[in-house]
Formats: sequence, structure tokens, C-alpha cells
Amino acid sequence: MTAYAELQVTTNFSFLRGASRAKELITAAAELGHTAIAVTDRNTLAGVVRAHVAAKEVGLRLVVGTRLDLQDDLSLLVLPQDRAAYGRLSQLLTLGKRRAPKGGCHLTLDDMLGAENGAGEGQVWIVLPPEGKSPGATFAERLSGIRERAAGPVYLGASHLYHGDDGRRLKHLADLAMTCRTPLVATNDVHAHATYRRPLQEVLTCIREHATIDEAGYRLFANAERHLKPPEEMARLFTDYPEAVARTAQIAESCTFNLDELRYEYPDEIGPDGCPPQEVLVRLTWEGARGRYPGGIPDKVRGLLERELGLIEELNYAPYFLTVHDIVRFARGRGILCQGRGSAANSVVCYCLGITAVDPDRIGLLFERFISAERGEPPDIDVDFEHERREEVIQYIYGRYGRDRAGIAATVITYRTRSAVREVTKALGLSPDIAGAVNGLVWGSGGGKPIDDDRIREAGLDPADRRLRLALTLAEELKGFPRHLSQHVGGFVITRGPLSEVVPIGNAAMEERTHIEWDKDDLDALGILKVDVLGLGMLTCIRKAFQLIEQHHGKVLTLATIPPEDPAVYDMLCQADSIGVFQVESRAQISMLPRLKPKNFYDLVVEVAIVRPGPIQGDMVHPYLRRRNKEEPIEYPSAELEEVLGKTFGVPLFQEQAMRIAIVGAGFSPAEADGLRRAMATFRRTGQVGNFREKFIDGMITRGYEQDFAKRCFRQIEGFGDYGFPESHAASFALLVYVSAWIKCHYPAVFAGALLNSQPMGFYAPAQIVRDARDHGVEVRPVDVTFSDWDCTLEAGETGEVALRLGFRQIKGLKEGHATVLAAARTKGHQDDGYQEGGYHDIRDIWRQARLGKPVLERLARADAYRSLGLNRREALWEVRALGPEPLPLFVMNRMAGRPPEPAVPLPSASLGEEVLDDYAALKLTLRSHPLALLRPELAAQGAVPASTLPDRPPDTNVTVAGLVICRQRPGTASGVIFGTLEDEEGIANLVIWPKVFERYRKVVMHARLLLATGRLQREGLVIHIIVTRLVDLSHRLDALAEGHGQPLDVPAANATRHRVSVRTSFPSRDFH
Amino acid sequence: MPGLPLTDARAQYPGLKAFPADPVEDAKTLVRIAEWCGAYTPWTAPEAGGEALEGGGAGAGVWLDATGCAHLFGGEAKLTRMLIARMRRLGFTARAGLAETPGAAWAVARFGQTDRGKATDRKDEVGRIVPPGGVRAALTPLPIMALRLPADVIDGLYGLGLRHVGDLLNVPRGPLTARFGEVITRRLDQALGRTFEPISPRLETLPMRVRIMPAEPLGQSTDIVIGLKRLLRQLEARLRRKHLGVRKLVLSLYHVDDEVSRVSIGASRPVRDPDHLLRLFAERLEDLDPGFGVEVMALAASVTEPLSPEQIPLASRRASAAPAELGALVDRLQNRLGVENVMRFDLRESHIPERATAPVPVFHTGPSASPAPSTCRRPVRLLPQPETIEATAMIPDGPLVMFRWRRVLHRITWAEGPERIAPEWWLKAAPWHAPWDLETRDYYRLEDVEGGRFWVFREGLYRMIGEMPQDPPRWYLHGLFA
Repeated sequence: MTAYAELQVTTNFSFLRGASRAKELITAAAELGHTAIAVTDRNTLAGVVRAHVAAKEVGLRLVVGTRLDLQDDLSLLVLPQDRAAYGRLSQLLTLGKRRAPKGGCHLTLDDMLGAENGAGEGQVWIVLPPEGKSPGATFAERLSGIRERAAGPVYLGASHLYHGDDGRRLKHLADLAMTCRTPLVATNDVHAHATYRRPLQEVLTCIREHATIDEAGYRLFANAERHLKPPEEMARLFTDYPEAVARTAQIAESCTFNLDELRYEYPDEIGPDGCPPQEVLVRLTWEGARGRYPGGIPDKVRGLLERELGLIEELNYAPYFLTVHDIVRFARGRGILCQGRGSAANSVVCYCLGITAVDPDRIGLLFERFISAERGEPPDIDVDFEHERREEVIQYIYGRYGRDRAGIAATVITYRTRSAVREVTKALGLSPDIAGAVNGLVWGSGGGKPIDDDRIREAGLDPADRRLRLALTLAEELKGFPRHLSQHVGGFVITRGPLSEVVPIGNAAMEERTHIEWDKDDLDALGILKVDVLGLGMLTCIRKAFQLIEQHHGKVLTLATIPPEDPAVYDMLCQADSIGVFQVESRAQISMLPRLKPKNFYDLVVEVAIVRPGPIQGDMVHPYLRRRNKEEPIEYPSAELEEVLGKTFGVPLFQEQAMRIAIVGAGFSPAEADGLRRAMATFRRTGQVGNFREKFIDGMITRGYEQDFAKRCFRQIEGFGDYGFPESHAASFALLVYVSAWIKCHYPAVFAGALLNSQPMGFYAPAQIVRDARDHGVEVRPVDVTFSDWDCTLEAGETGEVALRLGFRQIKGLKEGHATVLAAARTKGHQDDGYQEGGYHDIRDIWRQARLGKPVLERLARADAYRSLGLNRREALWEVRALGPEPLPLFVMNRMAGRPPEPAVPLPSASLGEEVLDDYAALKLTLRSHPLALLRPELAAQGAVPASTLPDRPPDTNVTVAGLVICRQRPGTASGVIFGTLEDEEGIANLVIWPKVFERYRKVVMHARLLLATGRLQREGLVIHIIVTRLVDLSHRLDALAEGHGQPLDVPAANATRHRVSVRTSFPSRDFH
Repeated sequence: MPGLPLTDARAQYPGLKAFPADPVEDAKTLVRIAEWCGAYTPWTAPEAGGEALEGGGAGAGVWLDATGCAHLFGGEAKLTRMLIARMRRLGFTARAGLAETPGAAWAVARFGQTDRGKATDRKDEVGRIVPPGGVRAALTPLPIMALRLPADVIDGLYGLGLRHVGDLLNVPRGPLTARFGEVITRRLDQALGRTFEPISPRLETLPMRVRIMPAEPLGQSTDIVIGLKRLLRQLEARLRRKHLGVRKLVLSLYHVDDEVSRVSIGASRPVRDPDHLLRLFAERLEDLDPGFGVEVMALAASVTEPLSPEQIPLASRRASAAPAELGALVDRLQNRLGVENVMRFDLRESHIPERATAPVPVFHTGPSASPAPSTCRRPVRLLPQPETIEATAMIPDGPLVMFRWRRVLHRITWAEGPERIAPEWWLKAAPWHAPWDLETRDYYRLEDVEGGRFWVFREGLYRMIGEMPQDPPRWYLHGLFA
């Protein structure tokens, strides 16, 4: 048997070149009997971890390497022989990538040979002869040159690719190898694991070359020979050069480097003065514990702490906890609010270290469940920071560990259905129309299922069209292929030594940003430490609320010191009064709250987790609610599962529970359960779930569970795959739910102000937040040049309560810098002038003091912000228009003061309707009157009732409502049902639109800003829905408001569009995207 | 709805058909319409691009100066109605306005009320005609969009609550100009006729166009040829002045019954010689039917290229005349047989040898494909069809030892290969495709004892079932080397 190892392998991580996944290649190589396989993607190591994992699975030796395409028109394979050489290669790639724009790599032979970095040392070099032409004298010279200067062994690669002249070419290369003393090595320039991938490979080439398949011509390979071949076949092709074949196995043998050698080494500067990390951790933890429990540490907590610390020591995780602690401590020092979540975050250790504010005693999570010796992975802690200040934390990490040791993980952007169809149809020369129609077809059809002829015909396409068929098949094959690397949102890698010796670092699209070549799964697989530094809008909001409370109410609060278990807070939530509250403000959550009736913190944990695809798809929601409301007996499928499901009345709701069922109920080993979890996480990409399903359901049935229960459990796990929601995450989120609800409950003005000041975030637009605040009795005051700052502020109200003053940030298109200048010049400028009191006198005054341009002053005018100067919107606009291009110097102004007055110009006064519309156009909200109030008489004539009267109407009767469309949603879990929310002057109405009705009113549903809806009233507790049967688009009535109640304007519709558009954009809704 | 993203539009109307906007083509169409209107008045002009936009996307328009023309068509009302009706027959929805000033006509055409007040019913579409002295009254109730103002000015006026032309008439001019520049007062003055606004005739946009309007409609083809000769001479004079020659020429005949027939000819090189051009037309004019008669003949050079005056050589006229003569021959062939029927070969990019060339129209000027990579050695002569041969070869992909072609046995002394060429899988497998179109081919270059050099291929890869070949391989001769 011939020993052969393929050393030139292009995987799909050589974007748009390789047509096979690493796993396919490695499985194929193992089956063909290769002794080893190298992965040599172009200028990258991005795909090697996947290859490593696959190779470990099938027991094939992997040689890590890369193909360098140098700037000096030379390509060579570089295979590091040991860890040190790997580090040098990684560093070399980093050098090349940092020089080039995103995705590129600029390296020259001198970089490789340069004495100063010694990159060549310890590497096997296989120089590739130029493709196509016969290598000439220049190449021979260069080869000899490399041979003389290189620190490692240099070979000459040769492939037999059926170009017709292979015999001559191989002879020529063999002679060259002899002359240059660079032994010949056989490779097959593998681009696919099997011949059947040729069409995909050629489509990839087309995409890369921006050509269609008909015009790609010689850019395509002439044949399909660049695939993995059996060693015997390679021996036959190289009959005259058996040593070239034998050499491949020898080279592979000499490259002993294995990616497992990179196993994480934690940064070592965490402990002060070389103190052992465990010792430091123990000390900090107990110090923290004393802080958390000023009245003495309870015995239970003491016991838990000892157990957890013991486990951490055993697994040597202390440095990891310290690393996270260090980041959190920094944030806290800067007053940046943060909160940990993730499996390890809800440990008592993390609570004591201040990484999380969730008292683990309150929910009783078991630490061992998430950190086990078996998994052998570092624990998982994500830390959320205020979204506006996350950058500071990132800069701190860079500063503390250096850019050479800290880096952001990559996200592998892969082809999804849509992009795959788009690119493949384009490559096959089909028109964009067809691509669009095909996309409509494929969308939502689920992975892998063939599309039947009828549906193709329905889309207006010809099922017999061969190209169309090819496109569908190839798009399916392309799906999941990596397209490019992008920067992960916040996954940080920190290493002990230089990071660039572990993994190449490249430029991101954003300037001054870099990221490594591996994504989170890769890092996971290698056990490299990562900390997720994420941004969360609600933390920003809470911090701002804390500041306002401190300023105006004199109370200092933190996440941990908010009074726990306040019944008023739970009462408020039970009433579904949750607009703005973290997580539970969505339509689905709002309808769940009155049904679940949370009474304590753990109920909030359940509330957060239950409205998720997992429990919904697993049909766990209703059983849970019934058992909770004591409508059905609580029973457990088995005694062993009682332990797992005890807290949730025997109904699995959390990801951890589903995993435990796999272990306890279906007999999975913990490692298998983990494999299942991973398979779920990547379910959409790979679709490899089938065998787990069988094993899971069979396992449960063998252990005596009902088949139905088993199936439901598995469906639930599938649901978790999309949006895994573990109890540990839910617990961290639940705390933010509680805190935000507490603020809303006790300080509604503060809460609304903080929410507005943290936009964009959350579910509702400023208009709804303001409205909700006013409904709660908060006095809201308009934006004004004399009183407002950039942010919304609190002022002393008339009734003794605080009033909320809207900030300049509410004005569409106004920049923060301008607002700050405006507010600052208000006081400063006047002091210069010797004015006693602050404030502006007129618009020219602002123009002169703040030196703001006309467009800014006009924005303020459109927002009606000059009222304190005695100018209404139109008067202000008239004034602003009269300003010259540049503010004039002071003395000129004074001279101008004496110019003759303009003739008075009477501007038409605005009707209320016009004011309201102008408010919406400039601010997206109004404090005057709801547009629906103005339209009420005519709406009443059409039978529409105010939303506030809905609770008094009998259920199952027909009712008509009208309102602004503030939200349209089509949740993936609701099988095509559309949920719409209408807002009128007194409240909101929830619409349920079934797919059939939607199809009939598609245009109205998608387009209308003002809707008249008729349907059956349905009540479930406090929640009222209208099951829509009829819809009318009344959007044009909004435009009518602009015309005031003066003479009607008969403008042909096509001509009135421009002004209409501006109205359209001023009533925004949160829609499905 | 302008500004609506396509994806949103698709969500609303799943069956929506989308076509990319083509402002260039639109502008050309507008020019053609303006030209067509030339049958009614000599002074027509397409609206400049900016004007249409100023109306807030209020549709493209054509200016007609109907001064002194209306009575020829039975009065203003009849003229506008006739125009609208004829436009509809051409497939356009049109509205017409007629007033003392261009500005007012523009405004009423788009925003005015019709006499019958039924603007929505297209069948009842009539012109909107402002009676003499009635401009101010007609404009007062119209929206300010009717004044052809820039978008930002309209926005500004809207913000001030000034929404009708009447509102503006009340505002003192000084403050208005101080705020919006002179554009509002200028447009007002133009519309009200306080300042003169000329309509620039469209001629500028198509400079190389000549036309004749015979006193009587032409009913005979011979008359048309005579007219054409006149036009060609006129055109030649103008082309000569500008040192231009035509590559494409369009003859438009306006028939009395609203039909417009067109004949276009192409030339391979810029030409302006009337005789040559007339010959090109002659072959196309035969089947032209004057119908009820031709009112107007127009000749437009749609593609022109520089053509310098030629030096007439004193001696050896033949040599320099040759390319011109070849060009004239090709022109005549093309105009007689059709441009697409006079072909030459050009390179195509394909690994499949017989597809590496393709016939293209002689003067096809598209980009030429790059030649095959140097490694692909191709024979000087490729047979029109690969021909079956009987061959003896070494397995699995060794060269031939001998083969028999057209009953002659060839013993091979030298062979090289195989060059493996995979089929173009994306092409439709049509019934007329030969088997070798669908299989990978292995090509060999061979030399026999007589020194003949051949290019042969085996169809399909060599596959074994157990110890036996799956099928006896089929061999073909595809080409001969020099």
C-alpha cells in the first residue's frame, strides 16, 4: 500500500475557491487511506480548527498549514513543523494582513526570508511552480535563491492535472528539482473532496470573478481532476517519480505540530506580585462575601462558596474568574453598569465578586451543573455593559493586555438561503427577477426539503427549466459555506503570550479595528479563554435612571441595593403595565404577564424564559400555566426527573432542563448531551440533528417515558437551538426586569427620561414612552431652546412632582454637538455680554451666541422649540429663513440693529391638525393632541370605538377600532399570524390577523399608517385581542389633517406624493424585518 | 410611491414586476414625443430634466408653442383634445394645459381642473385651457407645486403654511425674496406673464436632423425617393460642415393617418456620400407603403462619427480605395441580407474546442474573448464533426498504439496526453447534442509513421467493472495538426 498524504488542500475557507468543507475533505481522505492531510488555505488559518476537530473525530493526522500567495507572484505551501514555527507563521500572516485592507494579505518573499523575524525557520516549504506556463529560467533562479536562504527544507510541488503535457511538465519539474536541490513533492491541488463538487466549484469561481458561467471561460478549470485521489492513483500518476509520492508522507510525519498544543494559557498578571491565582480568588471571594452579607455569611452560602472554590481549584479556572473580575472592577470604577450572565455567572463566587447582582440563593442554581470536569472547557461568562459605554471597556482590555495579547473573535459570515440563491442564480446567468421569485420560493421552506413543481409553477417559474433546477440544487449546496470573516460583537480573546502567535489577526472593515481569524466555536474547540463584552441598552437606561434619582431624589441605588421583592412592582407587572420594562415589554410578554401573574423573583425568571421558541415549540407553555394556576395536577414523568423539573412544576422550560432530560431521561452521556447542544446551536447551518433525535426519543421510551412527552421534549430542544435560553441567563435578565420595573413603578418620570436618553433601545418608540409616562401622571414639557438640554431632564413640576422636559435629542436630525453648544452658550454668552439672567432673547441672539448654522436653527423651528421666545413654529421658521449665510460679527450686528423694519407678513395660522402633524414630522411625537382625537368624529361615524372602551365590551362580539399602526410583527413561532398594534387617543388595541385575512389585505397591512379594523373581540384575562376580519386603510386621512379644516385641496394623487412621504415617515412603526 | 424600497413594495404586492429606471431612455422617448408633436407646431421641446423634478415628480412634459397654430386644427380645445387622444393611441397617458404663459400652462396641465371636472376619468380627458386674461384667477387656487419650484423651497413654504399660489400672491415680495431667493418671484412673474419665458425648441438635442414638409401629402414611392434625395443632400452639407459621417441613419415618415413609419440603415464606417446612403436606403424602401400619404419626412443621423475630409490622392487610387470598397460591399450585403446575417469568426472562451470560436456579425464591436491558455495546443484544422475511429490504446488512460480512420490504418510513433476536458454541465442537454457533448473527453496528440499528426479523443473516462472495462471506449478524430 502506498503511503500518501495530500499536502495541497483548499477548503471552503479559501473563500470562493474551495468547494468542500474541511470535514468532507478529511472524512474523504481518511476513507481513501491517506496517511495524513494538510489544510493549506490561501493566506489564512481560518479553517484549520474545523479541520482539526474533524481530523480528531476520524483519527486522521492533520498537518496545519497555509498556502501563501506572495506579492512577488509566487505561491508556496508553508507547513510548520512545531509550535514555535506555527507561531512564526501566524505572526507572518498577521503582518501581511495588517498591511492589507480587510480580507487581503500582502506578503513578499523577503518577509518570509527576512533574517529579523525568521519566519521561515521550522517550516516545510513547498514552492508551487507557476500554473499553466512551463517554469522558465527566472523561476529556477528564484527556487535556488529560496533554497539557499530558507531556514527549513524546501521542496518543489508538482501536480498531474491532465493538461495534456503532464509527462513533459513533470519531467521538466523533476529536472528543475534536481538542479535546484529542492526535492519533488506530489500534490493534487485539491479543491474538492470529490468530483461531484465540480459544478459548485465553478459557480464559486464565477462568483469570485463576477462572471456568469457562460462567460467565465478559461477562468474555470478545464476538468474536475482537483479532488482527493486514492494513494494508488497518485502513485500511478507519478509512476516515474515514486519518491515524490513517498515524500508526502515523510513531510507530514515531520510536521508534528498539533493545534491541541495551543490549549489555553491564562494571562498571568492577574495575581498581584506573582501570588497564585487561586489564592487571590479565594481572598477576593471571601472579602466580597463579607460585603454582600454584612450581617454575617449564612452557613448555606458558606458551604456553597467552599464547594465552588474547590471545583474552581480542581479545574484551575481561578485565572479566568479573575480576568472577568478585573474587567468588571474596571467598569465599576468608571461607574459603568454591568452584569454577568452565562452558565458560570450565577455562581455564589460571581455574586461575591460582584460579577452579577443576582443573589444565587434567590434562585438556587447548581454550579456543578454548568461547570463540569467532563466538558473540560473554560466556564462561560458573558458580561453585559451599558451599550453607550462598552467601547471604554474594550479600550481598557486593549490597554491592560496590549493589542498584541487581546483580540476580538471573528464571526464567520456564511451563505444563507437568500444570499446563496442570489449569488448562484447570478452565476448561472438567470435574471434578478428569477432570483427574486426563487427566493420567495425557498424562503421558509425549511432546510433541505426539495421544492415541488407546483410551488415552482405558483411562483411563475418553469419547473422543467434545467438551469433553475441546477440553481436550486447548487444554492442548497452553497448554503452554510463561509463567505467572509467579520468582527464578533464582543467576544474577546486574551492570551498569555502574543496573540498573533496563536492565531493570525487581520483588519476589520471598520478602521482601527482588528479581529482574529477564528470564531467562538473554534475558540471553544481549542479551549481558549474568551470573555464576551456585550452592550445592553437597558443597562445604560438603568444607570441614567440611577443618576437622575440621585440628582432629584437624593437616593443612591445600585443593582444589588434595589429593595427586593416589592409587591407594588409585581402588582404593576400583573396588570401588564410594562411598557419600557426590560424584556417583558413585547406584545407576547405583555399578554403573558397577566396569565402568569409573577409574584416573586423566580416567576420573573420563568417569565423571561417562557416566551421563547423553545417552550412554545415544545408546547410547554400551557401545561406550565395550567399547573401553576392549579388547574391540573402537578406530576412528574419520573422520580429522577422530579429533581430536574421540580422548580417548574414538572414542565421543562429552560435549556439546562432540556439537557438534563437528555442525560437523565434519554441516557445521554454528558458529552453526548453537549454534542446535542452544539448540534442544536448549528442546526440551521448544518441540519445534522436526525440521529440525535432518534437516539433521544428511543432513549426516553426505553426508560419508560411516554412517546408524546419524549417528542415534545425534543421539539423543545430544537426550539432552543435557535434561541437557547438557559435558566442562568434568564436569572440575570430577570434581575434587570425587576430593577427596571421597580424604577418605572416608583419613579415614572425618571424612568421615561432615562429610556428616552438611552434610545435607540427597547421595543417602543419615544412617542409611546412619552405617552405611557403621561398616562402615569408625569407632566411632560416640550423641547425648548431656553430650557432643554441634549438629554431629557427633570424640572420642578407644578404639583410638587418632578416634570419631564424633553431634550433636543428628540428632534430628528439634530446633532448632539449642536445641542450642547446651544445649551452652553445660553448661559456663557450672556455673561460675556453682561446680561444678568440666562436665556436667549430672540433667534438672532442664538445665531450670534451659539454660532449655529441655519439648518440647525431651522430644525429647532420645525420642532417648535422657540415658544419661550414668543414665536410659534411658523413665525420662527420665517425668522430663521431671513438669517444670512453666516452669523455676522458683533459690531456689524449692532449696526444692523438700526436697519428699517420689514413689512409685517401675516402667515396663515396653523390648525391643531397641522401642529400635530408638524410635531410628528420633527419629533416623531406630539404633546398636543393625539391625531386620532382630531379624527374621532369621522371615525365614530364609521363605527370605530375608542380602544379604552374595549374592556367594557362583551367578548365574541364584533367591534371596530381605528388607530395609528405602531407595531407589526410576524413571529416565527406563530405560523404566519400577524400581530398588529393600533394606538388611538385613549389606548391601544391588539390585532390578530390570520394568514388568510392577511393575504386579502396584504397591501393594507404592510402599508397603512392609520388603520380601521373590524373583528371579533377576544378576551383572555386582561388581555384583549381583535381577531381581524376586515381592514380599511385610512392613511390619507392623516394627510387631510395637514390641510387643516380650510378649503379642500383637490390635488391629483400622483402629484401629492412628496408631501405624503414626509407624513409617512413621521408615523413610524416597529415592524418585522 | 417614490422613495419606497423595492423590498417593501414587493411585500405589499407579491406579484410586482420591477424594471430598473432608465432616465436616459426616458429622456430619449420624451425627445421622440416632442419630435412627433412637431406635426402640429414647429416649436416643440421636451422639458428639461430639472423641470419635471421641480414639480415633485409630476410627470414628464413636452412644450408646444401653439401660437398661431390652433386655428389650423379647429381651435384650442380641439387641438388639445386631439393631442391627448393621439398620445393615448401611442400608449401614453397625457394631460394638456394651454395658457398665455408657459408657466401657467405647465401648472394647469398638472394641477388644474378640467372644464367637466372629471379628471379621473381618462376617456373624458380634455385639455385645461386658461381663457385670455384668466391666468391669475386660474393659478390662485393651485398648490404651490404648480409653480415649478425646487423641492427645498416647497418644503420651506409648506412649513410656513403657504400652500397655495394665492397665499404667495399676498406676501410682500421683499421679505419673500430675502428668504427664498428670487426663484419664487421669478416663477410667479413667468406664470403671470410679467416676464417673458422663451421655449427653446428641441433642435439642439438632435442636431443632425433635416425635414421636409411637402405642400401635398406624398402618395408615390418615387416621390418619397425624390424627397429622400433632397434630405440626403441637406444632411450631407451639414455633416460636411461639422466634419462628421453617419453610422446610423433613421428616416421617419409621418403619415396623414397618425402613423409614423421608420426605416433605419447602418454603415460600417462613417459615411456622408448621398449616393452611397441612397443605395443603402434603396433596398429598404421598396416594401415601404406610403399609405394615405406622407405629410412630413424627416431624416436623422442617430449615430455620427468624425469623418475628416479625405485627401484625394493623385496616383494609385486603387490601394486607398480598397477598404472603402470592402466597407461598401459589406454595407450592401448587410442592408440586403440583414446585419445579423453577415458573419465572421471570433474567439469565445470555452475549454470545449469546437466552442472556442463563434460566428459574430462582421462589425460586431463587443469585447473579444481572450485566447485559450498557451498550454492548450489546438490543431490547425478542426473537423466539422468528430469522426469515429477504431483505436487500440493502453488502459486506463495511456496513449493510442494505432487507429483506423476513414479505412486507413495509422500506426502511432509519438503520442502525448491525455488532456482532459470536462463537459459544460450548465448547458441544456438537448436532443441534438451528440454523446461527446455530455461526457468528459481525453484528448491525445499523435504522430503516425507517415508523419501525419492527429488530434483524437476518447469519450468518457475509463471505468472498470471488476476486471472488465465498463464499455468499450469510443474514440474520435477531432482535428489535424500541420
